[in-house]
Amino acid sequence: MLNKSRVARNVYLTSLTACVVALLVGGCGRRETLTAIGDRTQELRINNEGEPSSLDPAVATGTIEHEIMSSLYEGLVTPDAKDLSLHPGAAEKWEISPDGEVYTFHLRKNGRWSNGQPVTARDFVASYHRMLLPSMASQYSYMLYPVKNAEAFNLGKISDFSQVGFKALDDYTLEVTLHSPAPYLLSMMIHDSWFPVPVAVIEKHGAIDDRNNPWTRPGSFVGNGPFVLKEWRINSHILVEKSPTYWDAKNVRLNKIYFDPTESTDTAERMFRSGQLHSDPQAPPSKVAYYRKYKPNLIHVYPLLGTYFYKINVTRPPLNDKRVREALAMAIDRHAIAETVTRAGEEPAYCLTPPNTAGYTCRSKISEDVAAARRLLAEAGYPDGKNFPTVEVLFNTLQSHKAIAEAFQAMWKQNLNINIVLHNEEWKVYLDSMRRTNYDIGRFGWNGDYVDPSTFMDLFTTDSGNNETGWSNAEYDKLVRLASNTGDRVARYDAYQKAEAILLDEMPIIPIYFYTRPRLIRPSVRGWYPNVIDQYDFKSIYLVPEDN
Amino acid sequence: MADTTPIAMAAPAETAGGSSFWQDAWHRLWQNKLAIFGLIALSFLAALSFASFLWPNITGYSYEQQNLALGPAPPDHVHWLGTDPLGRDLLARLLYGGGISLTVGLCATAVSLTIGVIYGAIAGFAGGKLDMVMMRTVDILYALPFAIFVILLMVFFGQNFILLFVAIGAVEWLTMARIVRGQVMAIKRQEFVEAAHALGLREWRIIFRHIVPNLLGPIIVYATLTVPEVILLESFLSFLGLGVQPPHSSWGVLIKEGAEVMEEYPWLLLYPGAVMAVTLFSLNFLGDGFRDALDVRGSKD
Amino acid sequence: MLRFIARRFFEAIPVLFIIATATFFMMRLAPGGPFDSEKQVSPEVRARMEAHYGLDKPLFQQYLLQMKHLLQGNLGPSFKYPGRTVNEIIADAFPVSLELGLEALVVALAFGLAAGMVAALKQNSAWDHIPMGLAMIGLCVPTFVLGPLLISAFALHLDWFNAAGWFFPRDRVLPALTLGAYYAAYIARLCRGGFLEILNQDYIRTARAKGAGGARILFKHALRGGVLPVVSFLGPAVAGLLTGSFVVETIFGIPGLGRYFVTAAFNRDYFMVMGSVLFYACFVVVFNLVADVALVWLNPKLRFE
Repeated sequence: MLNKSRVARNVYLTSLTACVVALLVGGCGRRETLTAIGDRTQELRINNEGEPSSLDPAVATGTIEHEIMSSLYEGLVTPDAKDLSLHPGAAEKWEISPDGEVYTFHLRKNGRWSNGQPVTARDFVASYHRMLLPSMASQYSYMLYPVKNAEAFNLGKISDFSQVGFKALDDYTLEVTLHSPAPYLLSMMIHDSWFPVPVAVIEKHGAIDDRNNPWTRPGSFVGNGPFVLKEWRINSHILVEKSPTYWDAKNVRLNKIYFDPTESTDTAERMFRSGQLHSDPQAPPSKVAYYRKYKPNLIHVYPLLGTYFYKINVTRPPLNDKRVREALAMAIDRHAIAETVTRAGEEPAYCLTPPNTAGYTCRSKISEDVAAARRLLAEAGYPDGKNFPTVEVLFNTLQSHKAIAEAFQAMWKQNLNINIVLHNEEWKVYLDSMRRTNYDIGRFGWNGDYVDPSTFMDLFTTDSGNNETGWSNAEYDKLVRLASNTGDRVARYDAYQKAEAILLDEMPIIPIYFYTRPRLIRPSVRGWYPNVIDQYDFKSIYLVPEDN
Repeated sequence: MADTTPIAMAAPAETAGGSSFWQDAWHRLWQNKLAIFGLIALSFLAALSFASFLWPNITGYSYEQQNLALGPAPPDHVHWLGTDPLGRDLLARLLYGGGISLTVGLCATAVSLTIGVIYGAIAGFAGGKLDMVMMRTVDILYALPFAIFVILLMVFFGQNFILLFVAIGAVEWLTMARIVRGQVMAIKRQEFVEAAHALGLREWRIIFRHIVPNLLGPIIVYATLTVPEVILLESFLSFLGLGVQPPHSSWGVLIKEGAEVMEEYPWLLLYPGAVMAVTLFSLNFLGDGFRDALDVRGSKD
Repeated sequence: MLRFIARRFFEAIPVLFIIATATFFMMRLAPGGPFDSEKQVSPEVRARMEAHYGLDKPLFQQYLLQMKHLLQGNLGPSFKYPGRTVNEIIADAFPVSLELGLEALVVALAFGLAAGMVAALKQNSAWDHIPMGLAMIGLCVPTFVLGPLLISAFALHLDWFNAAGWFFPRDRVLPALTLGAYYAAYIARLCRGGFLEILNQDYIRTARAKGAGGARILFKHALRGGVLPVVSFLGPAVAGLLTGSFVVETIFGIPGLGRYFVTAAFNRDYFMVMGSVLFYACFVVVFNLVADVALVWLNPKLRFE
């Protein structure tokens, strides 16, 4: 007879045993974590928030790439991780002419590419030539625009590169001529658009201006930085190794750096906790409070050079009335947002530029005054929010943006009695809408490319591609142009103060908070210091095993 | 084509003095304890959810009322299930979200049902070339990866609530169409249909009086089992950020937000997860019960 | 049989063609393009980049070019990853998804068939309700909840595994369990249903009356019929399983193909989307065919369908 019980039980026991065995084999007991191994072997494992689009400075698009490239290349100057002061990099010294328009760089004679070739001034000139080639279509070519005729060449207005202000006076002397003094030029040079690339090597692998040129693959990659590309598996990892040909190799203490491209902040935080990463640059907001309270030695929260704000489409009623815009900007509680919504220690922003940006702190401020806001709204024709048309806040799909927008929706309802509708669009659709100025109020964030107020102030000139608000003010344009054409710091900052005052009076934007970095980092990582552009100094970082 | 095996079904029998097929089925269903439990649980939750839908302040808090000062608080006598990071009452959001999720589930299922049944019936009944073309189209749609397809739909038409139903329904109708087609083809071949033909009954009378009643069984079963799939699909869309939009909540939204903070604020995952699980359990048990009761045998779930 | 298979392959060609066309136009007509980014590029730069990839040509011309390339097996470059071709990316990521999918399938079949068989044999008892109840968990708990729960318990608290990554053999365990749970549950239910159908049929009773032993009946008669619904279900399901799951790959940091389906659509990486869609479609066609062949082999009655 069919003995169901026996058969059933046997089936069950077999599968159960199989599972248990699998689990045991899979996961037995304590093992040495990857970070502990890294501590021993001087291999730093960090998350850099995403897969890089490219490791070619002319093709790369953002901070994700910059972190890795700062280990693979060395620019003329290198920033100190502590205070971002500039140290000699590929250039051992330089002179600036009295009028501030000519910089002469003297390159190190012992600077070498990773294939042993010397790094010459001609390499730099060729790199900048490539960067400015119209056919290269490089997104950051504008970083070279302070140089004479660079913009004209890049836009195809002139085709003779010898007219551009880059000259190799000899093998080790590079002369850079600007069209007007730019005191922030040296701090721009830490950006990857100013890095040298091995043009001869690139040409061996394909056309000089081909974005798809495979020269950046491991094996063919050549750079002049402290590390060399060893492995690159898309969406898996990037491994760089100490470069033996680097001129200062004896002072580089790390042997390897492992870059993890995980985008999900939750996954990255779990990896940090389970000992797979030495550092995770963006702890999820819900965990920041936990770490600050229970594991304060593992988290560093520091300000970043960036502002989170809402752009207002000033061409659409009722937002074309500046009183309405001011009312909106005044009727919100930024502290509450920073404290309860984003919770990563952000500072509320009452103006556009972050405080102490290269010594510049804006003096004009938005005041949070609900009574005044209501008065303004009434003056504009909407007393107590009556008849106020429905306005839409646009943001891209992300939990934090949603939470902030929801909070504002409630605040504006409560304080001004107006109805705001939230609209989130998927990333590309959102970008497209912003670009076409097809929104009412749109969320926006801007991280400075270099440490100078111009990187923020330039956003809202009439012809800035990143303006997107439809706002245009001739006086503002004039002030910003004045500031970018003079080397006198006092005059510049004075102009910026005036410009910012105009901006906050007209209010085409609602500044909300200044970014911070809630970074998780293990105590075994030494020589790392927080700074506002989150620049790593891989030469100075080293690992000391933690005692358990 | 991966088609269903012919689904055999007992033909309705109307013997004098006996019970009808449907009465038998109901009797069998009543015997199935799990299914009845499912039915009761489902009714209870549905009633609560729809009540909160119609009277948003039933718990004393609205689903969108924020309390930033309070922040995320564990359950206590003020907020029975606790609050989320924006200080919104979880119970209110759970009930409201339940209403939304169930509505999405029912409407998307209705959409898929309507399209699927009509499509499958036509294909099955017509046979021949028309059937082949229609089923090929189903194959084509089946071979589109759902994720890309839904993203594109959502991107094209904006993140509209109605479109959520349409997008989900547009994916689910395929299986329904296949099942209905298979069933129609099986029934078509049965003798009582031939008899009806022989008697000279007109086509559409045959369809409505004979074929459709025999379709009801698998349709009921499959529809009941589609609702949980739809609810899970909606939660996947919320994971991608394409589901229900703020400040509305749905189970998908609540579960996604809860999963992100489950270690710090476990109640935000526990309660929505439990409620959703109970609902999905109930629907599945009910569907199984229907299947056992209506004696529907099929190779597809 | 061979004619059947050949005919199906032949029929697949217009299917793939239509899918390619539909995908092409849907992607191109969607708002937002591959070169939109938060720091907007100047119109000149944008124009150059589009020209580089041939995106400035008239739409129909691009379509014909794309079709030509597809026939040559060239899936094109990726916008998001300059220097990499779609062929290359798929070739790199697919083996990972394949491995994960197979492991999840093993988990699903092992748990599912075992639970389904036992539940059918001891219908309406505790042996039935408890495994089926557990199976329900797989059906009712979304993977983006199950994954973090498993990680939290086994990787973070018990420290048995890494929280994410795909480097060591033990990294396979949690993702396979997470991915397989849903399918295990589905298979358990289907299997139970199929088995019950068979067990209650006349020929089983006949075999028993003839004195055949328990296991013999089970494995000889019932298995074939009970596995039928599972095979039918697995056909299209395996295609999805093997081409990767976005959720599991994101949560566990697995460099598989599943992620690309979603991210490519979000990034408007046109050629990557086309490549992924066609790749997936081929899989579906192949596995539908495999399932149909298996069905016919298992149940001769279907041959006349």
